[in-house]
Amino acid sequence: MSAQKKRNFKIEAFKHRVELDPNYAERTWRVLEHAIHEIYNHNASGLSFEELYRNAYNMVLHKYGEKLYSGLVNTMTGHLKEIARSIEAAQGGFFLEELNVKWGDHNKALQMIRDILMYMDRTFVPSNHKTPVHELGLNLWRDNIIHSSKIQTRLLDMLLDLIHRERTGEVINRGLMRNITKMLMDLGSSVYQEDFEKPFLGVSASFYSVESQQLIECCDCGEYLRKAERRLNEEIERVSHYLDVKSEVKITSVVEGEMIANHMQRLVHMENSGLVSMLVDDKYEDLSRMYNLFHRVPDGLSTIKDVMTSHLRETGKQLVSDPEKLKDPVDFVQHLLDEKDKYDKIISKAFNNDKTFQNALNSSFEYFINQNNRSPEFISLYVDDKLRKGLKGVSEEDVEVVLDKVMMLFRYLQEKDVFEKYYKQHLAKRLLSGKSVSDDTERSMIVKLKTECGYQFTSKLEGMFTDMKTSIDTMQGFYSSQYSEIGDGPTLAVQVLTTGSWPTQPSAPCNLPAEIVVICEKFRTYYLGTHTGRRLTWQTNMGTADIKATFGKGQKHELNVSTYQMCILMLFNSADQLTYREIEQATEIPPSDLKRCLQSLACVKGKNVLRKEPMSKDIAEDDAFYFNDKFMSKFFKVKIGTVAAQKESEPEKQETRQRVEEDRKPQIEAAIVRIMKSRRVLDHNTIVTEVTSQLQSRFLPNPVIIKKRIESLIEREFLERDKADRKLYRYLA
Amino acid sequence: MASRRGRIRFNVGGKIFETTATTLANAGRHSMLGALLDDSWNPRQPAEGEAAEAEYFIDRNPACFAVLLDLLRTGELHVPPNMPEKLLNREALFYGLLDQVRAARWGPFDGNRLQLVDSVSGRAPGDGTAIRAGPDGGCCVAHGSMVHVYDWMLEEHRPISLDYQQVNDVGYIDAESIVISARERLGKGDGGMGVFSSSTGELRHRFRVSHYDQVKSFTAGALSLGSSDYKIFASCKGRCNEYGIGVWDQITGQQVDFFYEPPGCCLGDADKLQWLDGDKCLMVATLFPRTDNCFIGLLDFRDKSVIWSWSDAGTSVSLSLDEKRVLHAIAIEDSRSICVVNQYDDLGFIDLRSNAGGVRWSSRSKLTNRKAPNEESCYPKLATHDGQLFSSMNDGISVFCGPERVLTSTLRRSYGGSICDFSIGGDRLFALHSEENVFDVWETPPSPII
Repeated sequence: MSAQKKRNFKIEAFKHRVELDPNYAERTWRVLEHAIHEIYNHNASGLSFEELYRNAYNMVLHKYGEKLYSGLVNTMTGHLKEIARSIEAAQGGFFLEELNVKWGDHNKALQMIRDILMYMDRTFVPSNHKTPVHELGLNLWRDNIIHSSKIQTRLLDMLLDLIHRERTGEVINRGLMRNITKMLMDLGSSVYQEDFEKPFLGVSASFYSVESQQLIECCDCGEYLRKAERRLNEEIERVSHYLDVKSEVKITSVVEGEMIANHMQRLVHMENSGLVSMLVDDKYEDLSRMYNLFHRVPDGLSTIKDVMTSHLRETGKQLVSDPEKLKDPVDFVQHLLDEKDKYDKIISKAFNNDKTFQNALNSSFEYFINQNNRSPEFISLYVDDKLRKGLKGVSEEDVEVVLDKVMMLFRYLQEKDVFEKYYKQHLAKRLLSGKSVSDDTERSMIVKLKTECGYQFTSKLEGMFTDMKTSIDTMQGFYSSQYSEIGDGPTLAVQVLTTGSWPTQPSAPCNLPAEIVVICEKFRTYYLGTHTGRRLTWQTNMGTADIKATFGKGQKHELNVSTYQMCILMLFNSADQLTYREIEQATEIPPSDLKRCLQSLACVKGKNVLRKEPMSKDIAEDDAFYFNDKFMSKFFKVKIGTVAAQKESEPEKQETRQRVEEDRKPQIEAAIVRIMKSRRVLDHNTIVTEVTSQLQSRFLPNPVIIKKRIESLIEREFLERDKADRKLYRYLA
Repeated sequence: MASRRGRIRFNVGGKIFETTATTLANAGRHSMLGALLDDSWNPRQPAEGEAAEAEYFIDRNPACFAVLLDLLRTGELHVPPNMPEKLLNREALFYGLLDQVRAARWGPFDGNRLQLVDSVSGRAPGDGTAIRAGPDGGCCVAHGSMVHVYDWMLEEHRPISLDYQQVNDVGYIDAESIVISARERLGKGDGGMGVFSSSTGELRHRFRVSHYDQVKSFTAGALSLGSSDYKIFASCKGRCNEYGIGVWDQITGQQVDFFYEPPGCCLGDADKLQWLDGDKCLMVATLFPRTDNCFIGLLDFRDKSVIWSWSDAGTSVSLSLDEKRVLHAIAIEDSRSICVVNQYDDLGFIDLRSNAGGVRWSSRSKLTNRKAPNEESCYPKLATHDGQLFSSMNDGISVFCGPERVLTSTLRRSYGGSICDFSIGGDRLFALHSEENVFDVWETPPSPII
């Protein structure tokens, strides 16, 4: 037996993979590479898209994706290097043109290549974390063209030079600029920012820094602002034409910083053309420009506002302390209103109705109006003037406008209760003398005050109106019931005033002429008969009378006089000559009033129904008075006014002041008690702040006075001090 | 002429098709058919002087082309019964129409209109740990130390593992990237967390944790992927004082923060993390702690504080079996509450607005129906989607709607055993069964033709 030869069986592994054409991948890639060359050489029309797509698909399918991808990178890089050389070779101005053309070509080629290699883009690229074809093309362009040392700086210099030329007034090819910047943006925002935007902003900053320095030396404020505005608009326009939208904020902030923020103070305070002179001369356009420009920089508006406020306070203070202006209250208030109108107009026309400016305006007015403690009186006098005569023949809407403006000033007042006091006095005079122009206007003013300060503020004012109305009814009732008994004696018109509602000064009644006393007594019995439990006091110092007089040549006149004057004249019915003392004795008119009455009867030219011995301006105690039968007047009706003080005299002012202080006491006490009642225990400082805030709408209480009121309340055992802490108060129920 | 008044002729594998440019335009730019059109969506004109081609020849399967052309014409997909899906998908990939095919297959997710479309059985040896839905309709299943990855066509890709260590949680960063957290092997520096490509399965990045500038190995537990600010959160366990929540950047992969466990809160052992976009804070739920009590808290990373917390300390002193234990939690930002579930499948709500509130149970299990949980059953899980609340119990999933959480649907399969995890994403719901290693795919059918 032959040695069994062990036959070595060799089991061949089953070939899983059918061998392809070994050169398959190479051949397919050649086809694709050729196609890419053709595409870059503008020969793409001869290519079959379906075939190329299938080839790329097959390469990826047979795991040659890596070869395909790296082949693409190499081929494209090669082409781009060539393009870079041709761009570098371009001379001067053609450089950008060439770059633009080549960029367009590259984009087109890239689109076609991507279409062909779409299958690779979908499958091979994401699973192998490669860059997609389109992005790859852009990256290669960036690395080989834009970041090539010979192109990068040249491109930047060129772009910046073009922009500089445009700034100095030349016309440049904006379309080309737009294409180039668009290219930089397409390459990624970081390329645009690093390779263009940053240097651009730097160059712009130095350009505008130099320009603004030159401008501010030679221009006035208005002109400078005009130029700055134009520059700003130019930059915005530039961005819209050929830069990235996001650059707008950056470049405008550069212009704002260099041209406005850096010179803000200097612009505002510029001699003869700065903000103050713009305000004085009402230069709406310049002001509006300044507002819009300063609005863009931090602290810009507050700078304007501060300067405006200090200017306003300065001029306002001058206005309210100017002794010339203080002589005429109406003129004074009119000036305030004009000032307010002027600034309202500036704010609405130039400052975009900015709320902060309105607030600044209000606070400035509040500041200087309260600098003068006669402002409440003057404002009331102004209203008085308007309601007496100033508004005659003016339409209702205009009246409302005037009243609204007055209300605006009223709002600035801190001592609203002082105003109320004066207003009451003036209103009483208007009502009693029947001088008011229109009842509606009066009421509309009251309504305004009511909406501003509440029911309490105007309740007494409204009471006055009610009194006037009931008085008319009472008089009608009186005459209809007593008609038969009165006959044709003197006619009496009584106004019954509720005590408390009216600002009546207590005055001793004078001796009325006998004719009058009779009918007065009749009225008294009639009135007390219909209203039981009331008391009537005659306020002879406030009435008026119409008397008919016949003079020397049979001239008849009707004299319109005050009650006092009537009493004096009636004496001359029975005598032609009377001395001062005789008159005083007969009438018992208080000396000061008597002197004033006699003065207006005897010393005013054209109205001197009495003659005085000796002829002098002032009334002395031993003067004698004669009936002036040579009295002449071309009017039938002669109005003899009392020499009345419109503005308060110094002692009167003191008196009003004192009355106001006196009125404030119960109000402060009421506020303290209200607060303590709800809070039970409170420390001193909190009470003071709470009281102040409660009463603010009427006046600004003085802390010292509040303290005094608290002490008075403690004395009267409304409050007590805490045993342990002297600063604490307790409410005693 | 290939085109006459917008008409285009194809010869696909010998069969002639004729269609219009507008139909092709429906394919979109990023497809082969769309690339046949020029910039203004008209058929490309041949250059001057060249003979126009009569037709485009494409060397592909004509039957599939017919289906895809119909899809482009009508937006609907009708596959003949004799055509394998795989074939159609391959052809769609060639033309670049895979996205259109997927969009036509199923509609926007609605918990009340779900249909079971497939059950995929796996071959993993052990119980499933977790299933996660991907943003594009794919999913991945973690079993033991392996993660099986399926794309939306339910084609299985290469499985993933991190040094073959026990996987604790998985999550999708995007359709292409999966992050997994795994147990460390002491002293080896293995485990931790890694990002893998979902299509190739290769490891792309390994997350590191450093304490006091020293890189340390760690065991990563629950994961949460903050969608708005591209962060990854994971509960981490290291050496004794290295417990806490680690934070990494999704893009750079670098560690950006670490929230060390304060006393009384278990963060390193957390079972569930959830990033709350509206409140910019992270919900941490530790429901199976080794020693301490259950803990749910909201962490603010800006000032490293626990801004809200709840614990069952005190309530579970008597560890009787009947005690209601919180087994899973999910924060519902809209209603400012955290929804929890117990072993009887009762839903409970904890108010996030008060710091000391208890669980308000809305008992749906009848007392009679209450069976003691046996060893076989799985713990319930919760999920939300678009205002709907989903809760798994045994072998079914319940859908609750509305502010009152009314039970509106139940999803159930006959085999596979109880559900150990489920996940909603890419307009699909995936439910993983514990016994048979089967997972179900539920999707909402496209809207019917009116």
